[in-house]
Amino acid sequence: METQQMTTLVGVLDQKMNRQLKQYLDICARCAICKDACHQYVATQDFKYLPARRAELIRQIYKKYFTKTGEFVPALYEARDPDENLLDELYESTYACTGCRRCMYYCPFSIDTAWILSVAKAILIAAGKGNEMLGQLADAALFKSDNFEMFKDIIVDGFKDIEQQVKGLTGDPDAEIPVDKQGADILYVALAGAHSILPAAVIFHEAKVSWTLSYFEAANYGYFFGDAVKARKIADRFMDEAKRLGVKEVVITECGHAYRVAEIFHEAWSGEKHPFKVRHILEVIDEYITDGRIKVRPDAIKEPVTYHDPCQIGRNGGIFEQPRNIVRALASDFRDMTPNREQQWCCGGGGGLVAISEMDEFRIKSGTIKAEQIKATGARIIASPCENCRLQMEGLNDSMELGIEVKAIMDLVLEAMPLPGSFAKDASTD
Amino acid sequence: METFLNISAVYGVYLSISVFVIGMSWRTYQWATTPKSPVRLGMFPKPKTGAGRVLKMLKDTLIAPQSARIEPLMWAFAFAIHVAALGAFIGHGRLLHEFTPLVTWLGEDGMNTFAAWSGGTAGIVMLAAVVFWIARRTFGPFKQLSVPEDYLLLALLFGVIIMGDHMRFVGTIHAATYREWFQSLLVFKPEIPAEILGSSTGWSLGAHMLFTDLFLIYFPFSKLVHAVGAFSANLVRSE
Ligand code: HEM
Ligand code: SF4
Ligand code: SF4
Repeated sequence: METQQMTTLVGVLDQKMNRQLKQYLDICARCAICKDACHQYVATQDFKYLPARRAELIRQIYKKYFTKTGEFVPALYEARDPDENLLDELYESTYACTGCRRCMYYCPFSIDTAWILSVAKAILIAAGKGNEMLGQLADAALFKSDNFEMFKDIIVDGFKDIEQQVKGLTGDPDAEIPVDKQGADILYVALAGAHSILPAAVIFHEAKVSWTLSYFEAANYGYFFGDAVKARKIADRFMDEAKRLGVKEVVITECGHAYRVAEIFHEAWSGEKHPFKVRHILEVIDEYITDGRIKVRPDAIKEPVTYHDPCQIGRNGGIFEQPRNIVRALASDFRDMTPNREQQWCCGGGGGLVAISEMDEFRIKSGTIKAEQIKATGARIIASPCENCRLQMEGLNDSMELGIEVKAIMDLVLEAMPLPGSFAKDASTD
Repeated sequence: METFLNISAVYGVYLSISVFVIGMSWRTYQWATTPKSPVRLGMFPKPKTGAGRVLKMLKDTLIAPQSARIEPLMWAFAFAIHVAALGAFIGHGRLLHEFTPLVTWLGEDGMNTFAAWSGGTAGIVMLAAVVFWIARRTFGPFKQLSVPEDYLLLALLFGVIIMGDHMRFVGTIHAATYREWFQSLLVFKPEIPAEILGSSTGWSLGAHMLFTDLFLIYFPFSKLVHAVGAFSANLVRSE
């Protein structure tokens, strides 16, 4: 490889350097305690997926270019250049990582391997080796905001269709899906498609809150791709909307990474504090149920239900109890998986992996532990608030014949709400 | 032997302690002056108060309960060697000054028996742990993950411990004599007592110190900076 490019890549590492990264690169004891924390390593026993190994590739560059000892005695640290060989290996270890941070949980120094790999992604992108699919999806999202007038009518038409269904379900001919409503309390940011808009619209309607729907979807492929600038711009689309409309809070739909991007990353990326709160839709729904603003039938679901903590919502987002409260409020047989909450196993679908078709086989294989965990509960329904998790678990369900139904929490809530125009089956099957 | 001891047990000590202190300060300074990541890297659940965060950090660093859960055997050996090393470090304090209250309490003989037992235990535990780690790094993913640095450190550590153990279990020289030597270093009038020079244990001391010097010199440039970094990295966990 050209020295020129090598210098550029080292420059990227330099530019991304900060105290945490430097410490992580300096202190890892290579004790491999993180080895059995990673579902991908456990399922494949493939060295390239061992968390510390993934980070070690960046450490090798760091040692060579950022430490005197590594510069003079590279052999001691296996320090080396970011050449083609290194980059190829780095690509595989990096884009496979789901960013679940289970390895960080168990590391004696809490080394955030996923954070080191976010820097690895920046290096890969600079070398022209970013994941193509994720890059395209990120660009598509930006194309939409850059050429918004072109899309606006199609988007609004789509909302109108969903609005008809909201009217039907709530039995209220005036029920609406407000868009671009100045001064609304809540800006709700959904995913593309009706499935994440309809239940929320019904819930907001029943709870009688003042809300408005964002033109833009919450999903952020810039984040998965590893380009912080693009990721920020993608989130800016609805953050700017929220500022413009003067809302009190931005509520993110049932999506893992989008919540973390909005709640944890965006302020750091943009360098300014949000003039509104950011909450996850399940925090909001839990509050509505507790306050009696919406009603759910306590035994609406009699089959055993289990709950999967999406990494970005649980361990990395801090929402553990609200979804459980909701499920308990409407299901008579709730069973937690072991381990759960902050120790929960990643399902294997995060990090944008479900969008990368060449990873399909690997991804399903990496979900073996999750599948075992689900089986052990004996549940018939698995509820989970992250779309990537649900796609992955549907894949596991098919390939490992788990015989379960994978559900979004909002869908369960919708089924359990006594609505005037609600599904006829509610009355008949009870 | 005198030349050897002069190198490893006199000038080497001055050199290694200076490199260690300056090196560690430099590394800590580097960390402290590198800007923090603007992104909060903490994970949940996290303590709500500052004091809670510090307590959790201390627990995570000193006990590492999560690591204990996932690999109990490794944790046990890591915990044992760190505690034994701490014990041995404190034990070496006898070189600075006799632990007078302990001597008053236990009596001269009692103190020697106590030191023999505690020092001996620490020496054995450390040896066992280092052998365990060396063995662990010879196979499978542990071997693949290891780099020469890991083996170098373990080899130096092995050398320090085995020679220390040799002095304790085979050597016949007592703490009082070593104290004379160490005190002379402290006042910058280095002098090696004739008893050491006249005994074959002098060679053990020389080797023990040689390994120790090299270990301390390399320390600030190795992954062992985790001795300081573990605290701040674990604090980031609840940011
Ligand atoms: C206080 C928090 C600390 C934690 C959580 C910690 C953790 C660890 C771990 C997990 C290892 C495993 C290394 C391996 O697999 O080889 C290790 C090794 C080691 N640590 Fe620590 N450590 C701490 C503090 C210290 C301190 C204060 C010192 C010394 C002054 C120290 C010296 C060593 C040495 C000498 C090794 C063996 C080196 C090697 O394996 O190459 N540690 N430590
Ligand atoms: S557990 Fe932490 S210190 Fe040990 S190898 Fe993994 S990342 Fe490094
Ligand atoms: S963040 Fe998750 S997927 Fe990535 S290395 Fe760590 S445990 Fe494995």
